[in-house]
Amino acid sequence: MTALASIAITGLGCLSGAGLHVTESLENMFAGIRNPQPPTKFTTDHPVASLVLELGEGLKLPLDEQESRYSRTCQLALVAALQAITDAGWDAESLRGKRVGVCIGTTVGCALNCDEFYRAYKGDDTPDMGIMERFLRSNPADVVARHLKLDGPTQTVVNACSSGTDAIGIGAAWLRAGACDIVIAGGADELLRLTYSGFSSLMITAPEPCKPFDLHRKGLNLGEGAGMVILESESLSRDKPKKSFLQGYGSACDAYHLTAPHPEGEGLKRAIAEALSVADLAPDQIAFVNAHGTGTPDNDRVESRVLSEVFPSVPFSSTKGYTGHTLGAAGGIEAVFTIACLNRGEIPASIGFSTPDPELPVTPVRGPTPIRGDFALSESLAFGGNNSVVIFAKGDA
Amino acid sequence: MRMAIQGVGVTGGFGCGVDALTSALHRGEPIVGEVDGVPAYQAAIEGLGDFVPKRALRRIDHFSKMTLFGAFMALKDTGLSDVDRSRMGVVIATGYGTLQTTFKFLDSYLDFGYACSSPTHFSNSVHNAAAAHVSMQMQATAPSLTVTQFEMSVSSALLSAQQWLAEGRVDQVLFGAVDESCEVLRYCRKEFFGDGEQGPLRPANFSEQSAIAGEGAAFFVLAAETQPAAYGYIDEVILGNHATCPVKLPISDELIVGADGHQACGQWYQEALKGREFAAYAPFYGSFPAAAGFDLAVAAVSLRDQTLYTSPGADAGGRLLPRKLDQQGLTCLKFGGGGEYGLIRCSS
Repeated sequence: MTALASIAITGLGCLSGAGLHVTESLENMFAGIRNPQPPTKFTTDHPVASLVLELGEGLKLPLDEQESRYSRTCQLALVAALQAITDAGWDAESLRGKRVGVCIGTTVGCALNCDEFYRAYKGDDTPDMGIMERFLRSNPADVVARHLKLDGPTQTVVNACSSGTDAIGIGAAWLRAGACDIVIAGGADELLRLTYSGFSSLMITAPEPCKPFDLHRKGLNLGEGAGMVILESESLSRDKPKKSFLQGYGSACDAYHLTAPHPEGEGLKRAIAEALSVADLAPDQIAFVNAHGTGTPDNDRVESRVLSEVFPSVPFSSTKGYTGHTLGAAGGIEAVFTIACLNRGEIPASIGFSTPDPELPVTPVRGPTPIRGDFALSESLAFGGNNSVVIFAKGDA
Repeated sequence: MRMAIQGVGVTGGFGCGVDALTSALHRGEPIVGEVDGVPAYQAAIEGLGDFVPKRALRRIDHFSKMTLFGAFMALKDTGLSDVDRSRMGVVIATGYGTLQTTFKFLDSYLDFGYACSSPTHFSNSVHNAAAAHVSMQMQATAPSLTVTQFEMSVSSALLSAQQWLAEGRVDQVLFGAVDESCEVLRYCRKEFFGDGEQGPLRPANFSEQSAIAGEGAAFFVLAAETQPAAYGYIDEVILGNHATCPVKLPISDELIVGADGHQACGQWYQEALKGREFAAYAPFYGSFPAAAGFDLAVAAVSLRDQTLYTSPGADAGGRLLPRKLDQQGLTCLKFGGGGEYGLIRCSS
């Protein structure tokens, strides 16, 4: 791969179990605050309840008056998108007439997983067709584009847990190709009984707060939320302060197993190599790595091996202890955190890590850690063997 | 950047393979099947065993089997069955994803309790499971992407395939459009449309509901324009919303429209076409979001044969005889219910 032009990032927005906006999230993470708990929005009869990270109190959903018309995933996507738009100095009115694309990653936000409908369908009740109508209205990229009355390409990426990262890389390619002038890109996912049961069935969830990269890690905590960035063309962003630049993106498939990563991280290594090549950077120019770090035995082992090989002396951390694993949203949320931390010059503790695992050749930071350098990398590993990596440059805003 | 269409693999209501699609186009009359007494188009997967060992297919669902079948046929059509695929990207567009397995997963916990949730059904219900099966079976280790955007899935995903090639991320893209039907979907269609889906499917009657559920997989091997093209080229992919900014149709191109008997989309075709002549082929494969991939397959065959085939049904665009393309371009137009559109311009 040859180097490609970097893309300006002018706005950030995110909400997750760590906080309802960027500032609150960083405050909580640097204070070491997290709040995993059993799910409150649904019940199951799983013999062992795993913990989740839900959104905190005070969230106002923009489509609240029409809540039944759209999925929660779409609502979360819209909250983060509106935050990012405001942060970039735009509003819905000023975006009209411009070519604005929307590229959003999700895992469950587009699945026909209406168990309330299906329970009635299987039983004696008449299913509520309104639930199906809501599904048909709830494509996240489409909802954001329609709500803001945008004209431009829309794409909902469903690459499982790398979706949000891929959406940002794809959005940048749209700008380089001239398909639009602005892209709202990131990820969104809600907590659902279906995913809770699915991940429980795979026996990779933890009944305690998750411990990424720790010897005693027992699995992941699910979470929900959304994270968005505003990508802008050179002509539109020329005179604006930049939060960051998307310097590189790479992705590759393990082609190995449906749910487990390649044991040597072959796909992840190729994705990192592509991102570095596109960014025209050497590994030692990376100031820190935001690891996928789910807290599952397999993921953390593979990631640690790859990090020790490619970035042996680069500090890294996982933020999933604060947010839970937000699936398709994770790449978007963590892109926002990576940029914010790069600009702040400091990364938070990789919460949950305390005891090194002798099987892991490198371990994450234990406390808030100053970082030096102009570039940071965020990586996502996903079901299906997808591996995606983005590299950001420090901004001037 | 133009993309060369090097190979095509299809399975749908008309049969499987490019020859079956071409035969249907020559025949001009659709063959509609039936499920539970309702007209429906179903896709065959019987030939998949020629490409993938049965043992490897044991835990793979119908959606992924259709996907694999279409993908392998496209590779075979290109003559790429035994080559290194480390630089071949996989892009899949789907409107609904794997429906049957999603409901099987729900069955597992609704019938037997949450503790009995099936990990196999869960992992196969994730939208990108089919792409993963393709990558694993073909050892395609380049980027993989699954896109879901209802009716816009195909054009949106195609935009990404185009950019992968333009940026040199891959040498080829195995691009597929896949959707499946299922019992729950048929129930929903009956609830939404009543007896409006008894057939025949009349795509040019924009103001009536005449859609018939379909399913299938349409795959393409795409490469940079410098590579040889067996089926012509995709010149341009444009997405937008007609309600916000009206679509500009290429003046000299022949048009293949994705009208598929859905009344909600009909008004947009009516408004955009303004009485202009068009062809529509949904009666060969039915109505489903990824059917835009089949429109593209028809465009590819038409470019190869330099012939615009008769639209099935006397009322489908008013064109009853095949006619030569005479080097004209072909544009596929697909509308969603909210006025969103995808425009795929092709040429020889």
